[in-house]
Amino acid sequence: MERDYIISWKVAGIALGLLLTLATALVQPLGVSTQFVVTDAVVAHKVAPEFAESNAYLSKYGEKEDWGVGYGWMLVLGMFVGGGVSAMLLRKRQPQEDKGSMPSMWQARFGDSVVKRNMAAFGGGVLLLFGARLAGGCTSGHMISGISQLAVSSFLFGVTAFGAAILMAHFLYRTRQG
Amino acid sequence: MTTLIIGFLIGCAFGTILYLSGATSYRRILGTLRLKDMWIIKLMATAIGVGTLGIYLLDLGGLAHMSVKPAYLWGVGLGGLIFGVGWAVSGFCPGTCVVAAAEGKKDAMFTVLGAFVGAFLFSLAFPVIESTLIARANFGSITLEDLLGFNGIYIAIPFSLALLGLAFFLLKDRYE
Repeated sequence: MERDYIISWKVAGIALGLLLTLATALVQPLGVSTQFVVTDAVVAHKVAPEFAESNAYLSKYGEKEDWGVGYGWMLVLGMFVGGGVSAMLLRKRQPQEDKGSMPSMWQARFGDSVVKRNMAAFGGGVLLLFGARLAGGCTSGHMISGISQLAVSSFLFGVTAFGAAILMAHFLYRTRQG
Repeated sequence: MTTLIIGFLIGCAFGTILYLSGATSYRRILGTLRLKDMWIIKLMATAIGVGTLGIYLLDLGGLAHMSVKPAYLWGVGLGGLIFGVGWAVSGFCPGTCVVAAAEGKKDAMFTVLGAFVGAFLFSLAFPVIESTLIARANFGSITLEDLLGFNGIYIAIPFSLALLGLAFFLLKDRYE
């Protein structure tokens, strides 16, 4: 059987655990979702500085001097660069099912409409970040980094996020009875 | 400056791991959430298993720069629920959508766009949310170590072994 992955979950899981340990030793654990706010805040400070300063949340990020662009923001930039470069180099080895902007599982269930897929992707993105900011973190900051620190809040986030996601996935892919 | 470079390099490695392991792939994520293909949950359980052990070993030597998120039960719980729905609908999380967008996936670019909007909407709603969902039932940055009252390494070792056992032996893919 042809391999349907480039590296296995075992290799990736161990590498990610070691990377998290390294990051915690050098600076601090991994996290992504805060940087969406930082970017929003940087843009807001540029476009509408008075509004940005008047907003209790945005004013905490994107300060005038360093724009809030620090370790965390560089980390997410690195993710974009690392993901992009490895995709360029290894695209040939990427399994066919993992390629492209229209997942075949989605297509089989919801049809060929690109607009429909992109609308779901957009709406999902809105919920992702609203939820992540409300909870204080996402998959990387809460689940991977947070649970690894045995943080009580991250266990709660892990349970509620996985619970809701599993229910929603089953709802989306429910089979009609009868 | 050094911190910025370290952040960038760690991010590069993180993005590369996510791409190479197929974590940016819709079939892997929805396969896991539909409890058919356990790839993502095995990957995460392994990462957390290794990470917990790594962090608490560092902590023994006083070398861990921990960053524990505060436990405000209503906000974290409700945020998790909203996040979970967005995760299943988009098929991405905030990290994987960035990597998938770099890969050239157009749906992921829409998720990134949505994410900026979601973060902005949250900043507008923040004053109301802070006084209700964040200030109430807020137990601060507590860990199981604080809760149980003994050294975290004694929790970390069995917890790590349990997660690794779960990933390597217990979780099995199931297809129709």
